Amino acid sequence: MDPRIWHQFVPVTVAVGVGTYLIRALSLVWGSRLAWPAWLKQWLSFVTPAVLGALLGPALLLPDGRWILPWQNAALLAAVPTAAVAWYSRNLLLTVLAGVVFCAVAGYLI
Amino acid sequence: MTGSASSRAALILGLRDAVPIMLAYFPLSVTYGVLATARGIPVWATDLTSIVIFAGAAQFMLVSLYVAGTSPVSMTVTLLLVNLRHVLYGTTIGPAFTSWREKHKWIAAFGLTDEVFALTGSQALREPPAPAYEFALAFGSYLSWVAGTVVGATVGGAVPPAAASALTFALPALFLSLLLNQARRVPQIVAAVAGAGVAVAAQAAGLPSFGIVAGAVAGASTGLALATITAPGRRPAGHVRMARD
Repeated sequence: MDPRIWHQFVPVTVAVGVGTYLIRALSLVWGSRLAWPAWLKQWLSFVTPAVLGALLGPALLLPDGRWILPWQNAALLAAVPTAAVAWYSRNLLLTVLAGVVFCAVAGYLI
Repeated sequence: MTGSASSRAALILGLRDAVPIMLAYFPLSVTYGVLATARGIPVWATDLTSIVIFAGAAQFMLVSLYVAGTSPVSMTVTLLLVNLRHVLYGTTIGPAFTSWREKHKWIAAFGLTDEVFALTGSQALREPPAPAYEFALAFGSYLSWVAGTVVGATVGGAVPPAAASALTFALPALFLSLLLNQARRVPQIVAAVAGAGVAVAAQAAGLPSFGIVAGAVAGASTGLALATITAPGRRPAGHVRMARD
């Protein structure tokens, strides 16, 4: 086995795990203690769509971190019918299953 | 919320709501297990990441950074930056948990993933959840995530590459579903598009980890600005109505 697993991968895993938990826990505890003004609550209600957009944009437009022509990008092509399923069904599981099938078909057609 | 009957009801409700996330996490974490072991991570170390980190996007990213030979410090900083978006989750849901015991908040926080947040987030402020509900949601999802990883890492090589490649779309499909489940109004859609634009620009500029946080802040601000401008019967600041669904 690569010694980097013990010397790098495992310590980074533990550090990221502990760090992620502290980020989640401290913000939740802190968030529940303070009185939040209405405008801030409204701003926070827009954080969810904005974060999901920020996660989706690069995943669809820059798969593997680089630009691919739209008609050669299976993820982007699959995203269009997947978005339609998501919008009309409002069903998490159905959308995921349909998305994987669409992506397989798109990958096959390209 | 006193008495075991009501907390049992909350537990059952939480498990029911956890099912779609569990069913979506399972193939996703199988994919993660397959991908990680295919790139040379030992089975036990792959399982360890899901047990310890429990954050899908960061785990996929950890594997690719490690394979690329990134230094440990740089890996840690990048991944924590990616997970910094959880600050927004905690502070968004936090106000709904004011009546909770401190211990319960520390337990629920472990399972506050993108999907658990997206499911709890919008309704929590209207109707604060019981601890049992939130625990069922969080730990049902966790169980599915870890189980899928173990399965994926174990069967690893038996999965054909084409199937593994299509499975990676499970993550974006999950994000799309979570987004379009609740972003049904123009300002929310605009927030998502603005967030996507900023994140893509940041990634193109070689700052991918910065992009998620910057996209969240820029997108949310754009959405709020649009909602404020277009709101009917707008009142001066200080009389802003509570956020609606």
